[in-house]
Amino acid sequence: MDFEPQYTPEQEEFRQEVKAWMKDNVPPGIVHPADPIDLTEEQYQLRRDFGRRLGAKGWLWATAETEYGGGGLDVEHAIVLEEEAEAAGLTIPPFYDSGGRLGGASIVVWGSDEQKKFFLPPIFKGEVRTWQLLSEPEAGSDLANVKSTAVKDGDDYIINGQKVFVGSSLGCDYMWTLTVTDTEAKRHENLGWFMIPSDLPGITVQPMDLLISGGESGAGSGVKNTVFFDNVRVPAFNLIGGHNQGWKVATTHLELEHGTGGKISRNVVVDKLFDYCRTNNRRGEPISKDSDAREKLIDVHIEQEIVRLLQLRNYWMRHSGVTTTYEGPQASYLRKTLGLKMSRHILDILGPAALTFDPKLGASEGHMEAHSRAGIIAIHPGGTTDIQKVIMSRRIGIGREVREKAGALS
Amino acid sequence: MDLSLTPEQEMLKTAVRRFVQQEYPKETLLQIASPTEPTPTEPWERLTQTGWLGILIPTEYGGEGGTFTDAGVLFEELGRGPVPGPHLSSSVLAALTLLEGGTDEQKREWLPRMATGEVRMVAAVTEADYGWLEGDVRLTAKQNGNGYTLNGAKAYVYDGETATHLLCAARSEQRNEVGLVIVPANDPGIKTRHLPGFAWNLSEIAIENVSADSFQVLGGVLAGGWEALEKAEQKAIPVLCAYQVGGSQAIYELSVDYSRTRHQFGTPIGRFQRVQDQIINLLNALDAARWTAYEALWKLDIGRESADSVHLAKAVGSEGYYEACNFAHEVHAGVGSMTEYGLTLHTAASRTLYHYLGDPKFHRHRLADALGL
Ligand SMILES: Cc1cc2nc3c(=O)[nH]c(=O)nc-3n(C[C@H](O)[C@H](O)[C@H](O)COP(=O)(O)OP(=O)(O)OC[C@H]3O[C@@H](n4cnc5c(N)ncnc54)[C@H](O)[C@@H]3O)c2cc1C
Repeated sequence: MDFEPQYTPEQEEFRQEVKAWMKDNVPPGIVHPADPIDLTEEQYQLRRDFGRRLGAKGWLWATAETEYGGGGLDVEHAIVLEEEAEAAGLTIPPFYDSGGRLGGASIVVWGSDEQKKFFLPPIFKGEVRTWQLLSEPEAGSDLANVKSTAVKDGDDYIINGQKVFVGSSLGCDYMWTLTVTDTEAKRHENLGWFMIPSDLPGITVQPMDLLISGGESGAGSGVKNTVFFDNVRVPAFNLIGGHNQGWKVATTHLELEHGTGGKISRNVVVDKLFDYCRTNNRRGEPISKDSDAREKLIDVHIEQEIVRLLQLRNYWMRHSGVTTTYEGPQASYLRKTLGLKMSRHILDILGPAALTFDPKLGASEGHMEAHSRAGIIAIHPGGTTDIQKVIMSRRIGIGREVREKAGALS
Repeated sequence: MDLSLTPEQEMLKTAVRRFVQQEYPKETLLQIASPTEPTPTEPWERLTQTGWLGILIPTEYGGEGGTFTDAGVLFEELGRGPVPGPHLSSSVLAALTLLEGGTDEQKREWLPRMATGEVRMVAAVTEADYGWLEGDVRLTAKQNGNGYTLNGAKAYVYDGETATHLLCAARSEQRNEVGLVIVPANDPGIKTRHLPGFAWNLSEIAIENVSADSFQVLGGVLAGGWEALEKAEQKAIPVLCAYQVGGSQAIYELSVDYSRTRHQFGTPIGRFQRVQDQIINLLNALDAARWTAYEALWKLDIGRESADSVHLAKAVGSEGYYEACNFAHEVHAGVGSMTEYGLTLHTAASRTLYHYLGDPKFHRHRLADALGL
């Protein structure tokens, strides 16, 4: 066993190249608002611009095939890129995007050659930003219960319906979505999966007012929206995977969203909490020396290490082609419950300083206040904690006659 | 043994519930909580007209002279809103502090006007180095003729912005005694600043060269002021716990209703055992908080030694309200995070009240002391 990526001399050279490139290309003046809702248009464009530069080099989606605009690199190269971006204070992609990791993955698996050539390069090169439009008022956990419809009309589909809790602030270029394509067909066999240009007539985007929308860093979504489709005419070419095949297409990105992709980056909130407690005093002593605070901090550390290792395991499994079953939702479940528990620990350790982003009386430039809100909200997107347990149970073969298989990844 | 409310208390409960439904519907509460919309003032004016703010103030000072359990009933119903203060901070905590440590003259001067809500007096105790111990008070009081000059800053003051007067904890430079000084909130040396974010009605109060004569010093001298505050806290805490219970009760009902009406996978979500678990956990937190709070109130009413019950109630109550909100969020998922739904009003309240008058850790330590450990 080896828990560390081993780099060949060629890969180490690659790291030097990336380092040098980052120095020249990371735009100066990037800020990381604690709550992504505070990301300005100007800041967003800086990030988009950096994304395009990464994309042009094949470094935005490094492991995606070159034929479709990816980097065609192996996992070690991708890890190097992620590590170097992290060292520069950024993530890859450096802005909220649901195209490369999720929607794109479904197109890779289920799209026709023509569709892949058309839709994927702009995504993998960072030319477009894409939103995920799944949830509806009647379809949250029960996603297959979507009510929006796509009716065939000549060479087009006409889409009607309403999506909720979707997207981000500052707009997008594409939306991918799941709608009913056949009102007569059985559940799971009645859906279509579409890539929709966001500037089509009949699409209205309305921001929702939520306690907070995003998670940990400035790459979060900012706001979530209600999106209305009112007789939106979409070419049949934009239907991926075929008529009534939408559920199958969705299983791919759902699998990834449920944690199966794994993750190797650090939890920034945990790092910031530890830094804050080391460098700030209470009653004349660093907070980190207070015995009650230490107990909670170690609690956070232990759970975070477990989550890190399970995410690392999943990352390895995905990239070495090992079949997964329950591992994705397991990591998701533990990550979500850690976030929730951590918000109470932060409140215990920091007192009411955890509840304000006031520059003087708040903590860690508002990051602790943002987590106090996010801990309780970030447990819902991508399937609630309950749903992660439901999926885990099916995958290990309890509660159902047959073990459910994981969605196809590639 | 009889754990029921008296007929009068039941009547009070019904009256307050109706009042809160009428005067503080969700839309009004959201408007008050909004950082951008103007705060409507009529509901508060109507609350002052009910006389309920005087519930613990003796009749000789224009109050109702009610029992602690009466106050618990009232504040439980206000907590269902949650109706924002400064009711508990002023007419319970500050009024009880005056009763504990004020001179006769001070009681006559302030209590009747606190009962009518004309005076909203808020205790300003905690500072940037946060804590509820006497040693945490740094704000200085420098002898100045018959009175004092105050300098320093209070932080995370609950209800500070709505106060007409502050009951300010201060430490004398000469004798290192901690006492309480009543200062008008509009003194030119006082700057009150809202703390933005998830916090519910917290502020910073900077105090610069504010002078006070001896009539403004609780009890006439600083010495003994802190003890009066601590005694008053011991009585105010169970009332605060009842307020937290009201909040948990409201979101319990909200969660049960939602689990009956929200359908997923063709069935009400309340049929899912995982959802049932969340609601059962919520109910357990609620009942634990309810009975620890009411036993402490009862002990105060019959004059029994109550320190252990009070600390127990606040430790259980603060955790209970906090966790109840988490369970409710799990039940509601996406809908619960929408401001307009109203659950987040409680979530914000539960986080701030978690610390107010001492967080669970503080009370666990004091409970251990009370048990002679
Ligand atoms: C901040 C935020 C961001 C989001 N981002 C997106 C996005 O980008 N795109 C998108 O499409 N959606 C998004 N969502 C929506 C999210 O996916 C849903 O909120 C989530 O799937 C839960 O659905 P729901 O809110 O309708 O809750 P419901 O499905 O109504 O669930 C209510 C309760 O019932 C439980 N439950 C439901 N079914 C079962 C079951 N079978 N067994 C046990 N318990 C069950 C749930 O666990 C929960 O406790 C976002 C939501 C939030 C809050």
